Amino acid sequence: MGQFKVKRGYNLPLEGSPEGKLVVVPQPKQVAVQATDFRNLRPQMKVEPGDHVKIGSVLFTDKKQPDVKFLAPAAGKVNDVVRGDRRRILRVVIDVETSNESVEFPRYTDTQIKTLERAQVINALVEGGMWPALRQRPFSNIADLDKSPKAIFISGLDTAPLAADPNFYMKELKADFQTGVLALQRLTGGKVHLTTAPDNNDSFKEITGVEHHTITGPHPAGNISVQVYYIDRLHSGEVIWYISPFDTARIGQLLKNGRYPNETIVAITGAPIEKRHYIKTLAGAPMASFLPQNLSDNVHRILSGTILSGTHASLEGFIGFYDHTVTAIPEVLKKRFLGWMDPGFNLPSYGSTFLSSLFKNKKFVQNTDLNGDERAFVATGNYEKVMPMDILPVNLAKAVLIEDVELMEQLGILEVAPEDFALCTYVCPSKIEFGEIIEHGLTLIEKEG
Amino acid sequence: MSLDQIFTKLEESLSKSPFKLIEPLVEATHTFLLTPGKATRRGPHVRDNIDLKRYMFMVIVALLPVIIMGMYNIGRQTGISDFWLAIWKGALVMMPVVIVSYAVGAFWESIFAKIRGHVINEGLLVTGILFPLTLPPTIPLWQVAIGISFGIVIGKEVFGGTGMNLLNPALTARAFLFFTYPGNMSGDSVWAAVDGFSTATPLATAAAATGNAVDALHASPLHYTLNNMFTGFIPGSMGETSTLAILIGAAILIILGIGSWRIMLATALGGFGMASLVHWLAGPTATGMLSLPPVYQLVMGGFMFGTVFMTTDPVSAAGTNTGKWIYGILIGVMAILIRTFNPAYPEGMMLAILFGNVFSPLIDHFVVQANIKRRLRRV
Repeated sequence: MGQFKVKRGYNLPLEGSPEGKLVVVPQPKQVAVQATDFRNLRPQMKVEPGDHVKIGSVLFTDKKQPDVKFLAPAAGKVNDVVRGDRRRILRVVIDVETSNESVEFPRYTDTQIKTLERAQVINALVEGGMWPALRQRPFSNIADLDKSPKAIFISGLDTAPLAADPNFYMKELKADFQTGVLALQRLTGGKVHLTTAPDNNDSFKEITGVEHHTITGPHPAGNISVQVYYIDRLHSGEVIWYISPFDTARIGQLLKNGRYPNETIVAITGAPIEKRHYIKTLAGAPMASFLPQNLSDNVHRILSGTILSGTHASLEGFIGFYDHTVTAIPEVLKKRFLGWMDPGFNLPSYGSTFLSSLFKNKKFVQNTDLNGDERAFVATGNYEKVMPMDILPVNLAKAVLIEDVELMEQLGILEVAPEDFALCTYVCPSKIEFGEIIEHGLTLIEKEG
Repeated sequence: MSLDQIFTKLEESLSKSPFKLIEPLVEATHTFLLTPGKATRRGPHVRDNIDLKRYMFMVIVALLPVIIMGMYNIGRQTGISDFWLAIWKGALVMMPVVIVSYAVGAFWESIFAKIRGHVINEGLLVTGILFPLTLPPTIPLWQVAIGISFGIVIGKEVFGGTGMNLLNPALTARAFLFFTYPGNMSGDSVWAAVDGFSTATPLATAAAATGNAVDALHASPLHYTLNNMFTGFIPGSMGETSTLAILIGAAILIILGIGSWRIMLATALGGFGMASLVHWLAGPTATGMLSLPPVYQLVMGGFMFGTVFMTTDPVSAAGTNTGKWIYGILIGVMAILIRTFNPAYPEGMMLAILFGNVFSPLIDHFVVQANIKRRLRRV
């Protein structure tokens, strides 16, 4: 139990946050499971186009951990296995049928779960398709079946701009979440840490079996790396696992009902969308099945995830496995005359070089304009102000650029994920892609293994 | 045809013509007039509105008080009392220097940009104005051209261009002129825009004083006082004389978050501390530079201009926050040490900053090592 205060960071002043209202949308005609949602996943296909699947049928497995299964969130016919460059499997698309035929898994009561062996829980999660919900640090890959984490972290707050609020969408899932926590407890010899805001945490208040911490402060306070840094820092050789509160509740549903939990809740956000609220739909539902008609891919960018670390899904895309936010932002469509001289009443900026900085509470609409062009590093001192951990962003990035693996490890790359550098990238006047650099560094380390 | 299309077409045809060396200049003008309009490739999908153009433009905004004061002072030193007329006269003296500095600088930037296959960096916007401000109004234009060439090519491009340079290019240019043409640049006599008028600079006066330096300053034909050295109505380099204008610039840099307050404060503290120390150690009977009260040291010569505009160059300064303190203090201390104990260079600031530039990677290295050690200690 701790109370933490994150001082360094930044909340982007953006318009477009969702209203606290949940709408159930009609069942989508298709769903997809995307291999690209999982870092470093090499799928082994178990179905082909034309095959009939039930809810919970195995679609593909992980070549590295062949026991790990990815299940169908709907019953129907496999429409397509979409491949990208070099025939890399991108996703499996299923045409949804009205039948709700489901694969049956063993059911457990809460009392039974408390007495299960660790191996039994692992087996239940692997067979029931919920294993991929557990991810591991360092590296953010799907949790390693042979590793034992020193702790499991659940972040009950999302500080990213316009992100869905876990306290809202977990309201109806308290019991399932509690059951999920019981299962997680069996997986670690250490603690299960739950972090929430000090207020706005009703959905998490009565949960037992967790170390409940509160954290305040600007983004990235909600990021797992930051919470691990404050609560139980990662030392060399250790691993921690982390999981979202929603997926914890899905684990609870799986164990209680013996069916693959195939529903998700996402917030639809972003200034171009007029009616912004939460929707309940099938996991992996297509964007077009619930987004308003007025959006178009030429004028808007549709993201699965948040503005900071979401993926560009487009209207033909699907909700990502881990995402509970879908964001629309305007694309950049025109060049501005003498942009560098603009007084900038409507141009938000972290620093004070635009007059927008005079309006502290004003919200802005930002488009996808890079607002400049890539240049050499200029140490403006802003990176440090948005990095709450004892990490030197510029020095770490430079260590990656010269591919000095030893130095990057010394500078703490194993404690971070690319998402932790989103704000460094945001504030950078030289438009340096910190996230991409950090990802490259992590990949190098994994290769040298 | 829109402006954008005109430029795109011009760039295309230039790249095939024998004039392709100036293509980077055209490209730079293009993005100067119109934002690049590029979209983000990956998350974060939105970006801060600031870019290097805005950043450098803000440095120039912070330099405006210094530039205007410099022009006015040039006019005033030639005997014009009307404010606007004095500015006009000053502009006539300063602008040719600035134009030569920018034009020759842009020429070299363009050549290196073409050879290296990158675009012209906005750093030139600041280098091109900082350099003239450190020069006397009487500087021959051909020396300006040679100086900025040296600063850009040797001070910056041989290291790999903006972002890679070890030394502040504007200061490198000035140091080159200082050592190559001491007759025009010397720290001993001052320059005014009146022919045949010459007398010792405040620093040279203080250094040469056989008695108390403050008395010697008062006794100078120009009656140097703390007051006129602060306001800057004395002959001297075009942008360096007015501590008042420089402090306004410092306030702008700090409020906009462009210049590092850590470096400025550390340099001023280092200078003031060291000046106090030598003054105190020398005792009340000291003569020459040692007899100067510490406040004098801060307002005289290029100390303040260097502190506010030169030490804070984000590329050649230390990059880590702890490093910035060490870097600033080192420069402040060195500047006073050189002034006080090296009679050959009464103006120590330029050399002290170049010295600090050389040491900044080492300072950062130690800060990085400390970070690594903190991390190891936990294991």
